[in-house]
Amino acid sequence: MRLLIVEDDPKLAEFVARGLRAEHYAVDLAVDGREGQNNINSYEYDLLILDLMLPFINGSELLRRVRQSHPSLPVLVLTARDAIEEKVKHFEAGADDYLTKPFDFAELVVRVKALLRRTPIERTDVLLFSDLELNRLSREVRRGDKRIELTGKEYALLEYLLSSPCRVFSRTMILDHVWDRSFEGVTNIVDVYVRHLRRKVDDGYPVKLIHTVRGVGYCVRESEPTITPEAE
Amino acid sequence: MNHRSLAFRLAAWFALLMSATFALVGTGMFYGLTQYVRSSLTDSLRRRSVQVEQILQQAPAGVTDAEVADSINTRVAPDFNNRFVRVTRAPGAPVYRSGAPADRSFDPLGVPRFDGTWPSRSMTRSVVTTQGQGLILSTTPLVTASGRYLIELGTSLESIETLQQRLLALLGLLLPALAICASGGGYLLVNWALRPVDRISQTAAHLSLRNLEARLPVSPTGDALERLSLSLNQLLTRLRDSLQTSRRFLADASHELRTPLTIIKGELQEIVGKQIVQSDVRDRLGSVLEEVARLERLVADLLVLSRLDAGEVQGEWTELDLAELAMSTAEQMRLMAEDRGIQIETGALAAIVIRGDRARLKQLVVNLLDNAIKFTPRGGTVTLRTIRSGLHSILEVCDTGIGIPAAALPKVFDRFFRVDEARSREHGGAGLGLSIAKSICSAHGGQIHVDSQVGQGSCFSLMFPRLPKAVVQEAAQAIRGEHGKPPVLGAFTRDLESLVQSSPPAPAGTVKSITTGARHARAML
Repeated sequence: MRLLIVEDDPKLAEFVARGLRAEHYAVDLAVDGREGQNNINSYEYDLLILDLMLPFINGSELLRRVRQSHPSLPVLVLTARDAIEEKVKHFEAGADDYLTKPFDFAELVVRVKALLRRTPIERTDVLLFSDLELNRLSREVRRGDKRIELTGKEYALLEYLLSSPCRVFSRTMILDHVWDRSFEGVTNIVDVYVRHLRRKVDDGYPVKLIHTVRGVGYCVRESEPTITPEAE
Repeated sequence: MNHRSLAFRLAAWFALLMSATFALVGTGMFYGLTQYVRSSLTDSLRRRSVQVEQILQQAPAGVTDAEVADSINTRVAPDFNNRFVRVTRAPGAPVYRSGAPADRSFDPLGVPRFDGTWPSRSMTRSVVTTQGQGLILSTTPLVTASGRYLIELGTSLESIETLQQRLLALLGLLLPALAICASGGGYLLVNWALRPVDRISQTAAHLSLRNLEARLPVSPTGDALERLSLSLNQLLTRLRDSLQTSRRFLADASHELRTPLTIIKGELQEIVGKQIVQSDVRDRLGSVLEEVARLERLVADLLVLSRLDAGEVQGEWTELDLAELAMSTAEQMRLMAEDRGIQIETGALAAIVIRGDRARLKQLVVNLLDNAIKFTPRGGTVTLRTIRSGLHSILEVCDTGIGIPAAALPKVFDRFFRVDEARSREHGGAGLGLSIAKSICSAHGGQIHVDSQVGQGSCFSLMFPRLPKAVVQEAAQAIRGEHGKPPVLGAFTRDLESLVQSSPPAPAGTVKSITTGARHARAML
């Protein structure tokens, strides 16, 4: 899979590229709109990651041109401006997805994977991790043979964390997927729910599954020797 | 009436000046008239005196004093004319003295004799009779063949005194009347002259930071008022420009911070995720990342504020029930509150239907609930209430928390204001939550208000104008009453219903009059 990042901030471009290469993608960089357009015309890409504020040809204009020349190329727009009407404008102009800075790299990877997965997202009915089992059809959660009763939000939170085990989800990502942006920045609502969830899932088990990564967020994994779980 | 107002002071000065002028004119008139009457009186006395002189001069030698007196009585008739005549021959023998006048204005016997050396020319003097009656006397010396005479001709001063009294009475009445007229008229005049200023200040009062596009009316009069309007308008333009600049700066700065924040966060997260990193380093990086998250929240809050300031309407405005939104939000935050040992009580809230942006209004409720939960100690309660008052709906968020000191109350909605630095920092807030709440509220045409008592709790109330539709609906329901539709009011109710369904909704004035009508109709039933 070959990706093109058109981003004028070299450090940000480098950081995103490095992360995506670590996920085994081939990544090209373009620092302005003109170079971006040349790259698109010269190579076959599977995905375009586009910053909107670019020198020479700005992102919006480039997006419009790409839509004409490559109608099926998925485009993920990165921008510092998140006004809703702007979002609407860019979706209309043909962006497939939209990410507002400052974003979590994990979120970017999730979006990139979703865009590259041309077929609809596979939804397994049962999420399994270690001895924890979540059944999406019956909304049942079990650890070993013990059934765990969860409230609606706790269930949604666990389902989200289990959707990608070992990946660290930031509070912002969790808020965006389980709640909504209204709660951003004002509350420690995520921490409260994680604590309650952890009490139900991990209390009384020697192997803890829900972990806090300080400053980053939460993840579901089995304890590894190199990582010391946070004492809450 | 405001005693320090410009209109009052101008009117007072005007009245004072007018009264002073009138008093001056009045005094002048008083003395002038007195003088005039006195001199014309003197002239008439002198003319009669000349008649007496002629009688004396033309009297043939050997004529007795009695014959002279007879001819004076006949030709001058002093009694009949209310005049006093006395003729004395040197060195002091009385020749003639008139009798009591017809109007009895003086007693001729009481007029004092002329003392001292006789004058060489005629003169006028005032005397007082022994009975205290004032007389004016014209005294003329005369030398004839039969000897030296002194002719005294007088009349009562009563007429002059009466004139003076009448003048005084007139002036005494006119002066206060004029003062009242002058002050009243002056006040009206000044107010009339100041009316354009009032208009300017009214328009200026309607301007807000959100609505700096309006301009003051400029009437092309070429005077100070036109210049005032023009320079105020220029000031407004400059104010708007500088506000726009600072808002743009705030928005731009927030945007510019986002790219470096992404890099810092991304790089740090990557390092933290690496397995080789020691746990103490990871812990310190985690602490840095927590600060980055705080910075991120701050930037997000600033952006929200700059957008609300700029009056950018975001998202879709729909009709929604704020009470229902508040209840569902409270439900979502209940666990968080219970985690701190705080109960959220909502009970059954009456619907508050308003038009607005659901996401923003939810943020408003979240901010208020979050604030209440933060500052309420364990065991406390946060209560949501709705109140309906006429054309307004009120949503209250009350807590039993630590409260806000009275001195801090006016500042709680200010940006970056914290009542207690240490305490707020512990909660991680930047002091923007309530100012965002206020901005969201005013963007929806609402008002936010806070009441608080230290140690007892705080109460934040959001007041929104009710939709005309809802008011009319309520009125229609009131008319129908509980026992179905009364036949007399059937047509009226139908009118109301068509008004309810009309689009766009009926103006508030119509609604108000219909609501009043409905109340009266209900009272009649």
